[in-house]
Amino acid sequence: MKLVVNGKSVEVAVPDDTPLLWVLREEVGLTGTKFGCGVALCGACTVHVDGKPKRSCVTACGDVGERPITTIEGLAAGDVLHPVQQAWIEANVPQCGYCQAGQIMTTVALLAAKPNPTDDDIDAALSANLCRCGTYPRIRRAVHRAAELLAGGPAR
Amino acid sequence: MTAWSRRGFLHGMLVGGGALVVAACGGGGQALRIQRADQTGDLVANLYVTVLATGRVALIVNKAEIGQGVSTGYATLVAEELRVPIDHVDVHYAGSDKAMRTSSNMQITGGSTSIFEAYVPLRQAAAAAREMLIAAAAEGWKVAPAACRAVDGHVVHGDARLPYGELTRRAARLEVPAQPRLTPAAEYTLIGKVDRRVDLRAKIDGSAVYGIDVTLPGMCNAYPIFAPVFGARPTRVAADRARRRPGVVDVIAFDWGVAVVAEKLWQARAAAADVEVSWSEGSLHGLDTAKLTAALRAHDAPGTTIKDDGDADAALDQAEQRIGGTYEAPYLAHAPLEPNNATARVTGDGVEVWAPSQSPTIAQAFVADALGIGMDDVTIHVTLCGGGFGRRALGDACAQAAQIARHVGRPVKLSWSREADMTQAWYRPIYSARVEAAVRDGKVTGAKLRVRSQSIALSGETMFGAALAQLPGPLARMATKAALALFSTNSLGDLFATEGLGNTPYRFASFSLAAEPVQTKLPVLFWRSVGNSVTGFVMEGLIDELAVATRQDPFALRRTLLTPGSRQQRVLDRLERLAGWATPPPKGIGRGLARHFAFETEVAQVAEVELVGDRIRVRKVYCVVDCGTVINPDIVRAQLEGAIIFGLSAALDQQITLVDGVVQQRNFDTFPVLRMHESPEIVVDILPSDDRPTGVGEPGLPPIAPAVANAMFQLTGVRLRRMPLQLAWNERGAS
Repeated sequence: MKLVVNGKSVEVAVPDDTPLLWVLREEVGLTGTKFGCGVALCGACTVHVDGKPKRSCVTACGDVGERPITTIEGLAAGDVLHPVQQAWIEANVPQCGYCQAGQIMTTVALLAAKPNPTDDDIDAALSANLCRCGTYPRIRRAVHRAAELLAGGPAR
Repeated sequence: MTAWSRRGFLHGMLVGGGALVVAACGGGGQALRIQRADQTGDLVANLYVTVLATGRVALIVNKAEIGQGVSTGYATLVAEELRVPIDHVDVHYAGSDKAMRTSSNMQITGGSTSIFEAYVPLRQAAAAAREMLIAAAAEGWKVAPAACRAVDGHVVHGDARLPYGELTRRAARLEVPAQPRLTPAAEYTLIGKVDRRVDLRAKIDGSAVYGIDVTLPGMCNAYPIFAPVFGARPTRVAADRARRRPGVVDVIAFDWGVAVVAEKLWQARAAAADVEVSWSEGSLHGLDTAKLTAALRAHDAPGTTIKDDGDADAALDQAEQRIGGTYEAPYLAHAPLEPNNATARVTGDGVEVWAPSQSPTIAQAFVADALGIGMDDVTIHVTLCGGGFGRRALGDACAQAAQIARHVGRPVKLSWSREADMTQAWYRPIYSARVEAAVRDGKVTGAKLRVRSQSIALSGETMFGAALAQLPGPLARMATKAALALFSTNSLGDLFATEGLGNTPYRFASFSLAAEPVQTKLPVLFWRSVGNSVTGFVMEGLIDELAVATRQDPFALRRTLLTPGSRQQRVLDRLERLAGWATPPPKGIGRGLARHFAFETEVAQVAEVELVGDRIRVRKVYCVVDCGTVINPDIVRAQLEGAIIFGLSAALDQQITLVDGVVQQRNFDTFPVLRMHESPEIVVDILPSDDRPTGVGEPGLPPIAPAVANAMFQLTGVRLRRMPLQLAWNERGAS
């Protein structure tokens, strides 16, 4: 089957019902997307399909087909980080870092839909992304900051 | 990458060792140092610090980065003394190595000790390298070393200026100074100022490699099936259909469960559905936490006396008011977001394991025991850890991966499911404490506490209590010796159950503390802040009850019980202002205070709480900490924020329960983690201090549960003495 991951076509030989998470990690070799729960409870495996956040652990790759998939590895343009990643660095967000790919992918999708999110918008978008280290206050700050950066605010 | 090789260095240079303090002496390897400099141009100053021919600094960190920021902390200490920008320091994580056992002959990350342990010796290690570079430049310029100084990766004398990379070869021929001069605190340019973590980039672009991401050439993947009851063994395995599935390598029964091995993990996970296993009864058969909790409540034996100052019984007899009750806490899983995993490769007589390990020493012992080989034949490579919280001090997955690798004759990565991680955890112990305090003439005249908890450190025999059946003998002896040395005691049975109580800074007129270990076969383990995670709840709940009984402000009562001028008092003073305590909270908001001293650090918190329907919502938390000298202020703030949120998950919602030996919580639906929309605003203030740095990762946790319970009392008049608090609130009046 053919998948389009981060702008590149890749051929994978897996059954249609194989969860996209494992196809990305084991067949495409992109391990930035993480396994946390396996049943869409934690959000660590969040990727974009057609620009929308998807829990890849419960998304059958056959259902994705050739729609474009974006993973954490596909956010930066070469060495230039995505503004959401830049905001994450400015706010010193990660501790263990394990959930952050999912948090960042969810945030990128949020800001695409709502360029200037309220705290309630952030709660609604990110409350299904668990962080065991407790980085939520920093994530909230970073989301607001990313909105500024996307609107053309200067980097710090 | 440079030609610098950590393993080559470790195996070539090091002899013996142990305490981190030997690092500065260099271990007497000058011939090797010169040889190495001639070959590579690198100055291997000592165990930890190598100045590369490129001018960059390679730092070996012998701790696990579990998110607590140890890599940034250690890099800051080294960059400060070497006078280099922090981004010139490259962090490498040490694998298992005897020379890296700097914590009472253990290589372990825990007890909030990393910065405390390394603050002096690691700076000495870097300062020694700096002095060697300065001496090398001075020798070349034929001037006195004292006339030269190190600035921004260069040695400078007047207008002359040489980068470190041009001095390493000459410096390697010099003696390693035994007493290098440490930078006075007043001259720090990085310590106390560097905030940005050194590991950020890899953690936001997907390139960070955790245990679960390790790949070896020729590797296959294993997925474990465990019994519903902890400790049960497979008695019959029907796997013919699974074996015929594409990619499946083998299905193997071990004492601990069944491993489904396939080329890819997704194949092993799919094939596991086709494996049928019959299990033995298991050692936990019959264990039921509801019955255990009831038995602990009813149990009335006095227990072993830990502390008996004054006559608390007489104070209670003569009291005008006797207050208190039974405080309780459940078993808890650590549930780090990266489930347990390990990757193993058998090589000749030995085995190499890659794992997110908080203790390579313990992991070595587990693997050695499982394979029947010596600990020296086991090499552990430490990866980044997706959380730890104590869980990764074990080597259970390492041992299992090694057994599978030996069986299939190929490298293998073992990846647990979330359900396995939660049901095969080693848990925070269940806890029950009966507390009573005496009030007479409006004053607190005594307190009596009777603690019952499952012991992590049973009777001085082993550090791992009920799990001793699985604990390798050498490790048990080593760990026990280390613990005895650490805690200067020969009675470990109740140590973790009473830490934070026996050493309370409150000066009661009479104080009696006794404890009794509870024995079950459910394995228990250190969980972030260990016994303090409950004893803070017990003591601060009791103190709040006393404030109510004596009609005193909670700050005021604590001040009367604490030593005047102590750090406890200073932290309280600051918190009272920070939280605006003098102004009453708005209607519908309850406010609670709690403080606790643990890991040599004092933390006090005020929680503002409301009820949304019947849901306890923590709106805001004010937190003041005194942790001595601060290396990275924003990491300290992050650790306190994290400890508060981690602690709130446990305080409000989490519990592990068992019915007939079966753990009832299997994933995050039944073992909830606090989420963004319920995460409080947190304000952290750090008390300035020149004292030696103390613990930060754990001490932020103990005050949050009692602060919330005390706030709930202020809001509702209902005293919650049982965690999880939300359950206690839902069932208020029921028991």
